[in-house]
Parts: sequence; C-alpha cells; structure tokens
Amino acid sequence: MSVEQLLAAGTRRQRRALWVAILLAVLAALAAVLLLGISGWFLTGAALAGLGGTAAVQAFNYLIPSAAIRGLAIVRTAGRYGERLFSHRAALHAIAHLRPALFLRLAGQDAARALLQSPGEIATQLGADLDALEDRVVRRVAWPSALAAALAGLAAATLAGLASALALWATLAAMRLASRRLAGGALPGLRRQEAAALGALRAAYADYAAAGTDIAIYGLTDRVCAELQAHADRLDAARLAIVRREALVAGVLTVLAALGGALVLAFSIGPAPLAALAVLAASAALEAWAGLSRSDLQRPRIAAALERLAHFAEGNPADIEPVDNGPARLAISDKGTQTVLHRGERLRIGGPSGAGKTRLLETILGLRSDAPQTVETAGLSFAYVPQGNSLIAGTIADNLRMARPGVAEADMWRALDAACVGDVVRGLPAGLEYWLSSDLAALSGGQRRRVALARALLAGRDMLVLDEPTEGLDPATEARLTASLEAWLDQTGSGLLLVSHRHLPRRLAGQVLELG
Amino acid sequence: MNSAKSFFAPHARGLSPLAGLGWLADVVGAALFAGCLSLYIAALAGAEGVIGPFWLLGGLVLGGLLRAAAQGVAAVAGQGNANRVKARLRAAVYARLLPTAQRRGALAGEDLRVAVDNIEACEGYFARFLPLRRASALAPLLVALLVAPASWVSTAIMLATLVPFIAGMVLAGYAARDEADRQFEALSRLSGLFVDRVRHLPIILAYGVQDRIARQLGTAAGEVADRTMRVLRVAFLSSAVLEFFAALSVALVAVYCGFSLLGLLPFEAPEQLTLARAFFALAMAPEFYLALRRLAAAYHDKQQGEAAAASLSAACERGAAALLDPAPAPAAIARLGLQRFEVAYPGGWRIGPLDAVWQEPGLHAITGETGSGKSSLLGALVGAAPAAGGAVLIDDVPASPGALAAAAGWAGQAPLLLPGTLLSNLLLGNTQAGGEQITQMLALLGLDTLAERRGEDLPIDPRGSGLSGGERRRIGIARAALSGRPLLLLDEPTADLDDALRDKVIAALEYFARDRLVIVATHDAQLVARAQSELRL
Repeated sequence: MSVEQLLAAGTRRQRRALWVAILLAVLAALAAVLLLGISGWFLTGAALAGLGGTAAVQAFNYLIPSAAIRGLAIVRTAGRYGERLFSHRAALHAIAHLRPALFLRLAGQDAARALLQSPGEIATQLGADLDALEDRVVRRVAWPSALAAALAGLAAATLAGLASALALWATLAAMRLASRRLAGGALPGLRRQEAAALGALRAAYADYAAAGTDIAIYGLTDRVCAELQAHADRLDAARLAIVRREALVAGVLTVLAALGGALVLAFSIGPAPLAALAVLAASAALEAWAGLSRSDLQRPRIAAALERLAHFAEGNPADIEPVDNGPARLAISDKGTQTVLHRGERLRIGGPSGAGKTRLLETILGLRSDAPQTVETAGLSFAYVPQGNSLIAGTIADNLRMARPGVAEADMWRALDAACVGDVVRGLPAGLEYWLSSDLAALSGGQRRRVALARALLAGRDMLVLDEPTEGLDPATEARLTASLEAWLDQTGSGLLLVSHRHLPRRLAGQVLELG
Repeated sequence: MNSAKSFFAPHARGLSPLAGLGWLADVVGAALFAGCLSLYIAALAGAEGVIGPFWLLGGLVLGGLLRAAAQGVAAVAGQGNANRVKARLRAAVYARLLPTAQRRGALAGEDLRVAVDNIEACEGYFARFLPLRRASALAPLLVALLVAPASWVSTAIMLATLVPFIAGMVLAGYAARDEADRQFEALSRLSGLFVDRVRHLPIILAYGVQDRIARQLGTAAGEVADRTMRVLRVAFLSSAVLEFFAALSVALVAVYCGFSLLGLLPFEAPEQLTLARAFFALAMAPEFYLALRRLAAAYHDKQQGEAAAASLSAACERGAAALLDPAPAPAAIARLGLQRFEVAYPGGWRIGPLDAVWQEPGLHAITGETGSGKSSLLGALVGAAPAAGGAVLIDDVPASPGALAAAAGWAGQAPLLLPGTLLSNLLLGNTQAGGEQITQMLALLGLDTLAERRGEDLPIDPRGSGLSGGERRRIGIARAALSGRPLLLLDEPTADLDDALRDKVIAALEYFARDRLVIVATHDAQLVARAQSELRL
C-alpha cells in the first residue's frame, strides 16, 4: 500500500463525517448564492411594485422572500459552522488513522539510516507533511460546494436569459483555466527555489555558528551577517515572487469575476428583478468559484509532501532480528583481524574521534550497514544507550517500559538506582510519572543519559551497548556510576560493548578493539 | 500579547502603509462595482439614467480591476514589509547569537531554530495580520460612510449590528481561549508525539518495540483528534458569530430597503429611497464585515508571530548577556596566568579549577585526553566557553575576556572561511599586513605551494571546498599570526598533517614564539616536546 492508499483508507473510514461536511458545505454555498439573488430580486420587485401604486403593492408577495432572506442567512451561518466542524473532524481522524500506519512504514532501514543523520529536521518535516495532508482532506469539501454554487448561479442566470447563463458558464471555465495555468506554471519552480534558499541559509548559518569564536575575536560579526543576509535575501526574494504569483492568480480571478457579472447583465433579456437576481447570484457563485484557486496553489506543497513521505515510508524494511545460527557470538572483522565476543564478554571499542566507533556500534545493532568492518551476530540481544538524548517524550515510566512492558515499579527503581539516577527521579514532582518533553530540559543531559541507561539495564538483554556513558558527568558521579555498572555486570553476567574516551569507565572492559 | 508588540516595535518602524491602504482601496473598488450595478439595475427598471449602460458595464469591470490591483498591492506590500522586518530581526539576532554560541554552550540545533525558523515564523504577522488589523478597524467605517449618502438608515443598521457582534465575539473569544487553555498542555504533549517518535525511531528499532509504539501512537492520535475537536468546536463558534452578523446585516438591509420601497414600513419612512440607492446599500452590505472576516482568517499568523517573538526575545537576551564587553587590548603581555579558573557547561560538565602561569615569549602546551576540555579551556580564555569561576591574569592583574580577545590571534579546529579569495581570508584579522609578510607566512606554514599552484586569488567558499582539513587549519594559523596580536591561541595546530608538514608547522610555531606568547591545545607528543610548559588536564 502506498502512502496515498493509506491516506485513502483513513479517509474512507471518515466517509460519514465527510458526507455530512460536503452536504453542509453545499447547503451553505447554495444559501449564500440564494441569499444575494433573492435579496436583489426582492428589492427590485419591491421598487417596481412601490412605483405601481397600492394595488401593485398588495399584489406583491413580500412575505415569502423576506422570510426566505432571514432563513437563508441562518442556513448559511449554520451550514458553514457545521461544514468546518465535520470536515475537520474527518481530516483529524483520517490523519490520526494514518499516523501509526505511517510510523510502521517509516520503521524501515532507509528511514532509520536517514534519521541517524539528522533526526530532528527529518521528523519535523514529516510532521509538517502530515499537516499538509490534513489540509487536503479538509479541502475535500471545496469542489462540491463550489460546484453547487456554480450550478445555482447558472440556474439563476438562466432566468435572465440563456445568453446570460452561457456568459456565466464561459467565465467559470475561464477562471478555472486561468487559475490552473497561472498556479501550475511558475509556482512549483518558485517553491523549489524557496526551499533551496532556506536550506542554503540554514547550512550557512550552521557553518558560521561553528566558527563563532573566530567571529567574536576578529570582530567579524558585521561581515558574517552581511554574508548570511545575502542568503536570506534570496529566500526573501523567492517568498516575494511566490506572493506576487499568488496575487496575480487572485487578481486575474477577481477581474474575471467582475467581467462575468458585467456579461450576465449585458446579455440579460429578462425583466429588471430577474436581471438583479441573476447578477447577484452570479457574483456570489463566482466568488465561491474563485476559492478553488487555493487548492491549485496548495497542490505543489501536497505533491511534495506525498513524495517525501513515500520516499521514507517505502524503503527497505529494517532487519533487526538477530539471525539465529549456531552458538551466540559477535564477530567483528576489521582490516584482517577478527574480534569474537561470546555471551557475557566485554569489549571496548577505541580510536580517535571520527574513526567510526558509533557507526560500528549501530551496525552491530542492525540500525545501519555502512561500517567498513564486517559484523556477524548470532543469538545475541542488545540493549543500547546512544550518545545523544534517546528518551522519548512521555513519562519516565513510559521510557522504562519501552525496554520491558509491564515491569514492576520496584524493578524500575532498582534500575534507576543502578544507573545512579534514582535519587534525582525521587526528587521530581511526580517521580516515575514525571513527563519528559523532548524540548524542555527537565533533566540535564547527563541525567537523561542515566535514565536511558536504567532503561537498558531493565531490558535484560545479553549485551549492554554503551556509547560514552559518562560523558558530561563530574568525576564523583562518574566514579560512582562506573562502580555501580561494574557491580551490575558482575551480578547479571551481561556482556558489554563500550565506547568511551574517559579513563574511569575503561576498566569495565579488558578487551579492546582500536579503530582508525 | 503585549510583549510581542514591544519586542517587534523597534524592528517595525518605517514600514510601507500600502499594505493596510490596499485593503481600504479594495472597499473603494467594491463601491464602484456596487454603484454601477445599482444604476444599471435601476435603468433596467425604468429609472432615468444619466450614464449610458456601456459606461456602467465598463465601470463594473473597472471596479473589479481596482479590487484586484488593491488586493495585489496589499499582499505584495505586506510581504515587502515582512521581508524588511525579517532582515532587521536577522541583523539583531545574528549579531547576538553568532559570536556567543560557544560562550553560551548552546546546542547548534537550538540556535539554528531560533535564527532561521523563528524569524521566518514572524512573516505572516507582518505580511498579513498587521495590515489586516489596521484595515479592519477602518474598512467597516469606510463602507458605512460610503453607504450613508445612499441610505443612512442602512448605515445605521450595519453599525447597530456591530454592538451585538462585538459582544458575541468577546464571549466566543473568551470561551475559545478558555477551552484552548484547558486543553493546551495535553494537546501540545500529544500532538508532538508523532514527530518525537519518528525522531527516536532508531532507539525504538534497537529495542524492537515499533509495533507497540505504533499502537500507542494510534491511541494518542485519536485522543488528539478528539481534544482538538473540542477546541475547534468553540473556536469555530467565533467565526460563526462573525458569519451570522455578516449574513444578518445583509438580510436586515434587504428587508428594510424592500419594505421601504413598498411603502410598507410599520413606521414613517425616515428617508426617501430609490431602487438605485437601495440596491447600492444591499450590494455594499457584505463588504461591511469582509475585512473582519479576513482578519479572522489571519489569526493563525498572529499566534505564530507572537510565539516566535517570545522565543526570539528570550534568545536575544541570552545572547546579549553573553556578548563580550569590548575592552582595549593590553599593550603587552609579559605573563598570562590562571587562578582557580573553572569552566562549566549547562549540562553539568566542568573543567578545573586550574592554576597556571605562561611566560612571554614562549610556546606552551595544554594537553589531555580527547574530551578532557583542552579546546574549551583555550576558548574560555577569550570568553568562548562558559567560564564559571576564578580568574585569568595578565601580568598578575585579573583581565576580562574582552581584553584577552582583543589581544589574541586565534585558530580553532575549523577556522572561519568567508567567501572571497585565499588572500582576503588570510587578512581577516588584519587588513594592513603587507605583501612581503604574507609571502613569508605562506612559506613558513607550507601554504606557498597552494598559493603558487592555484594563486593567491584562489576563490574560497565558506565550506572550504577544495581545501584539505590541514590547509584550512594552516590558513587559520596564518591568519592568527598575521593579525600581529601578542598572544596566539591555537587549537590542535598540527592535526590533519603529514610528518613533513607537521615539522614545518612546529618550526613555524617556535618561530612565532620567539617574540610572542603562543599557547597550543594539542595531543601531539612532538609539539609538546618543544613546548616550554605543559598543562595536563
């Protein structure tokens, strides 16, 4: 199933709400057209009757139109409210259905590998892409309601004469053509330019920020700002060009709508009240019709979102199950020498920064496959504590349960204490139920890492995989943590794969593999 | 939020008023359209026409053209204003964040989000929301004013609907805000869940719990949808109030004018209406609430702008607090010392307290394991790492980081490269350096082959494309030495170099150290062997 099909499946489940939304949108559109049309007819008819004397006034049925005007005003309001409510409900639930399905798709190797590179940006982009799809579902009502308005307008114009109706029809067609042509031509290119300029600005900012000390010492702030502004100017220029293009689309449609109104009037052969009905109804219909251009303007954005989601969601599924052949072991071949590890054994991977230590760890875990070393694992399970923040947004207990569903609270505390972070968690307002958001620094980086370590300890896997476990800790805590880990390893007989620059934790592993 | 307003105020001066005026001119276009339409209908109904029907039809189209032009001008001028504000915000934010990134110990991603994304998020606030808010205060009054000569009663009707409208908006607005506040925490937690789980997909895969997480995501997403609907139900109510009064004012004007023309008003007619006047009032009635409806559609822009302003203003304060106080460079440094000097990062990582004395002239080394804080200590001397205690002494007198920064030539691990030529990049620290000096420096550091091979005008881009890591490093060292400052701080000057080049660079450093104080952070044993002192971390 492609992403598009997944979305279609999610939308199908919301058929009911969508139908209600469409029905209400159609009602609201019809009410808007009729409200203006009948008002114009009523006013002109009333004026003629008023001029015709008392008899004409008494013959004029004013009760029905005046009641209709009030009724239509209410229908239009209620219809729009209901339409918004139901279309958003359908969209929200359709996307809610898509999220878990999409997440499972993303759990493929390609996506995981890309996420290891820049997790924040890709995740944020995918979140924004889902919002774009949500918008597309909301806009499902746009076509039916615009069509209803157009048909009502055409019917009203027919009352003023066939020629008026034909003129309106021609205007409607011209508006669609103009909108599609003007939005479709240059806009996707401009959007790409905008995205490229934004990417270039980000990259340039990141480069210069990394050399912030040079900027401060040599007093180069103004020069660097000027260089960045040059990138930003390209972004702003692209934004302005997009707004110009969108204004052009809107402007052409406005002029065409006015022209359409004039043509309806010019070709009208009916009496004045019907001409008034026709022209006002046509104007309301043309206004609703012009709203369709928003879908044209959004189309490139939605296409790009679908493309991105498909790219990530339709890659190779990750193969993370260890292959079970023969006795449990881990073999790493690096430049002709082979290091073999059995259950319960400990290994430290060393080497200078940039030698690929983390890459090797993640290859052993099956998260990627681009390490220069050859890795074979059989019958071993791993519990990983990566270098950065690996706690998911949720409570501390949620994070610990990731490793072992249904784990008892006492076990959680034991693991947290072993990771030297139990006292910190006891001091939090809600303890284990404390909510860690991914953005707010509720716990320091070192404390978060130790909670992640507690999670790994709880998992009860054959081998603990630790990437710089004591980085960022003060010497006292580092010593305490190292001792505690050593005791835990001895007690449980777990194996260990360790990457650490620091002195203290090195004594945890006797065997060393030097890279680079 | 008033804080957004006051934060934006200095950056939002001198903006083009065309953005707001465009939306007002739109009303004039609408009036032209309505006027021609009503005269044409009146002529059809037999009234004496002063203007020919073709002129009236032309007027209709002209009205459309005017509206199109006015709306286009408003949109383009609004974007122009937004671009101007963004440029000023960038200048202000970059100047505070860029030179202080290391000193604040800021996460690169965090700064990038503020400096790029938050500034972009202000766009809608200035491009759409602000002009529309200005226009929405005046446009209804302009409509009322234009309708008044045709039918002052219709004007009165429209204005009268404003009172209950405002009351309704206040009630619906409060209800929406209360409901949004009630749901805010739960919603913001839940709605970020998908992005969070995708971000942590690798660790989820490492534990093999993707199925369980996907199920949780499904439940959470359903809950988000339900809670969002609760907020939307109330939020849409305020647009429904707007819609209702817009429709009501049209209906009331239509009914009043109709009955007045029929002579059936239950009270004495307050004014003598003709079809043309009545029709004009009717055609203008939908315009009365149009500006407010447009403003309501820009509400999201307002929220985004205010949220961005809060984050930008906090970042600017943090940045400004971390800017070095400018101080004059000391004329000479005979001795540089550390006294119980400490560095501490926000995460809790600390270096020190340290004591040291470095004599000028001379070559001194700071050594230690990778990650022991050599670079951070070197940076902390010039205020490029968060110093936490103790002092740096120049000739036994405590000195500010600003004074040290002014006295130091600096070469970090990845020296800054600006678009330009090799020469312009060498001279970033001192534009006065002469040609002979430069040639000598290039030869000393083994950069002469690069200059000969590709010329001193070799174009350079910020990524250093076409340069090796070692070449970048040596450009940084040459720049520091050419700056002519009495103190040289060099981070791993001999890394990324082969043996021959390394010997050359070490010889050059010894040459510099004959009349300057050179401090290097290094793990190169050969370089340490030539140093007069070693500070081990």
